[in-house]
Amino acid sequence: MGSPCELLTDADDEQLAGQLLDIVSAEAWRVEDKFSRYLPGNIVAQINNSDGDTIKVDDEVADLLDFAATLHQLSDGLFDITSGVLGKLWRFDGSDNIPDANEVNSMLAHVGWEKLCWKRPQLTLAPGMQIDFGGLGKEYAVDRAAVLVAAKTETRCLVNYGGDLVATGGSARATGWRVGIEVPEDESARAGHLIRLARGGLATSGDARRYVLRNGVRYGHILNPTTGWPIEGTPRSVTVAADTCTQAGMLATLAMLNGAAAEAFLDEQEVRYWCLR
Amino acid sequence: MIRKNRKSIAATLATATCSLLGNSIPEPVQAQEEPGWDFNTALLYYVEGDDRVDDLSLNVLARKTFLDDRSLSLGFAFDTLSGATPVGAVPFDSVQTLTRASGRSTYSVPADAIPLDATFWDTRYAIHANWQQPLGRLYSIDTGLSASFEYDYTHIGANFKLSRDFNKRNTTASIGLAFASDDMDPEGGAPVPLAPMLDVGDQSNKTGDESKDVIDVVLGVTQVISRNMLVQLSYSFSDSSGYLTDPYKILTVVDPVTGDPVPRVLAPGAEGPSHEYRFESRPDSRTKHSFYAQTKYYMSGKVLDASYRFMTDDWGIDSHTVDLRYRWPVGENKYFEPHLRFYSQSEADFYRISLVDGVPLPSYASADYRLGDFDALTVGLKYGWTLASGNEMSARIELYKQDGDAPQDQLIGNQLTREMYPDLDAIIAQFSYRFGR
Repeated sequence: MGSPCELLTDADDEQLAGQLLDIVSAEAWRVEDKFSRYLPGNIVAQINNSDGDTIKVDDEVADLLDFAATLHQLSDGLFDITSGVLGKLWRFDGSDNIPDANEVNSMLAHVGWEKLCWKRPQLTLAPGMQIDFGGLGKEYAVDRAAVLVAAKTETRCLVNYGGDLVATGGSARATGWRVGIEVPEDESARAGHLIRLARGGLATSGDARRYVLRNGVRYGHILNPTTGWPIEGTPRSVTVAADTCTQAGMLATLAMLNGAAAEAFLDEQEVRYWCLR
Repeated sequence: MIRKNRKSIAATLATATCSLLGNSIPEPVQAQEEPGWDFNTALLYYVEGDDRVDDLSLNVLARKTFLDDRSLSLGFAFDTLSGATPVGAVPFDSVQTLTRASGRSTYSVPADAIPLDATFWDTRYAIHANWQQPLGRLYSIDTGLSASFEYDYTHIGANFKLSRDFNKRNTTASIGLAFASDDMDPEGGAPVPLAPMLDVGDQSNKTGDESKDVIDVVLGVTQVISRNMLVQLSYSFSDSSGYLTDPYKILTVVDPVTGDPVPRVLAPGAEGPSHEYRFESRPDSRTKHSFYAQTKYYMSGKVLDASYRFMTDDWGIDSHTVDLRYRWPVGENKYFEPHLRFYSQSEADFYRISLVDGVPLPSYASADYRLGDFDALTVGLKYGWTLASGNEMSARIELYKQDGDAPQDQLIGNQLTREMYPDLDAIIAQFSYRFGR
């Protein structure tokens, strides 16, 4: 997941707490092993090294691909799990290194959900294309863990994978968990918001430490897969509350992809959100 | 820019997520921004039996918690008191006349009644501000200022507390210091200790303002014993110095044989006390030591909170307090909390029922019933509930009963047949509301 994964629980039974931890960590490792693009031999590696061959995927991968297709459509092509290869050109390290426009254009030939062939359960990628579930995998893993935890106990639990989180159990009126949203770049963490989450998901998109600066223009790390260039005017971070962590995470990402119109987009969706600019 | 059908995005996403996660429709999210301020308000009504004191008190505590556990709390209290309290004089089988504290008029006490001071009415405002913050990983500090104002009394105080966690945060040790400086400007002036009560218009028994200083030191340790049990122990030292006498309390000078008040001869045309009375006198310093132990025990939702305090001071008062509370949840968002408190104290060395005529005056003497030997019992019940908004309400009613005994060896003649110690019954009613903004 590339971040600390934790489970907080109200359980006053040590045995139950241990069982819940085992369930959550097993599921986190399962999702990581199956969907990480950094691990050799998993389904993502098979797909990315298929060199034009058709790969048959299982139900879970198919569900995620269907979901990615829906998001691609909902975002008019801005949310695209094939855009990961663009990351090879951009190094968001705070420097002024931006890639050559020709390089970006030639890389764009390998980007675009519409260029692959997805006929459940069969996926065919053109040679040179890759997919990456990084944009939704963590939120999915959090919700998966929450489903398993909720099936085991009604005790209040908070699943938190690096700031993408979901609260389960407890009564409707139970006191929520206090969740702080840090202000990026503000090491003291004294500003920001404090949110009480009693139930549902909360996810944050944005990482103000990842950018390049060139000729006074700051390029954030959210890339537009149709141009190969970063989206302009993105907030420093967007946090959204929704029924599930996945919905919250996707809405936060879609808001980021709306750049300067992030807040307007979220207002239209009628969700609770906190934007930091 | 995402353009078309933007409003349906959230709904489509919800459906897609549902089929991705393969579960039923999730329950709706409940997330709200933590209120910037937490307000705790309480309205308290305290009323004593026999038409003595009643006090209506409004308290507001506002607390702002910041992200890294720093917090600011501001408190405001407003009290309006009225009524009368036992003045210290003994009851007698005929009418007694006393000079008011102001020295401008007199008032009469019916035969056989415990003499109460003239009816008073007072308002009190109190404010405090405290700042709490962690210092590094293991230390935290809490520092604040307080002040209160009455027409005849002004208090200002400062406090500081340093805590440190040990033992994987299972142990917290703390040291607290507090300093208070109080100024008194009693109605009619502060009496000269043991000076006689004089005729109306004669203020030669009074001086001007007085003051006292109080220093408190508290050493405490809190220990987590188990998942269900917490224990707190503390020792506190308190040193008061200055004018510690109550300017409104007096003693009756009594006949050494009958125990009755000694009649006073009034000059023709003069208005003044019917008997001999003297103002009380207390030492100008007091040192207290308190030992306190508290435990909170959690039993599947119910919480027992039990504490014991032993206090001893150099005025000869020893006191014991046992306090028991039991928080008993009813359903998800309501609870009952019965409360029981026992208090017992011994009398001060200089506690006197009366002063005996013809016997040299002691250095210190007070007939203040609060310095006597008494036991007190408080029985109460609190009912609390949480509203759908998350705001909390509670209502509490308590009965207080104080029973004292006059020291038998001090009773003389007719005093043996009279009730010399003023017992006290009181009712406390409180309504609290806690909300965030």
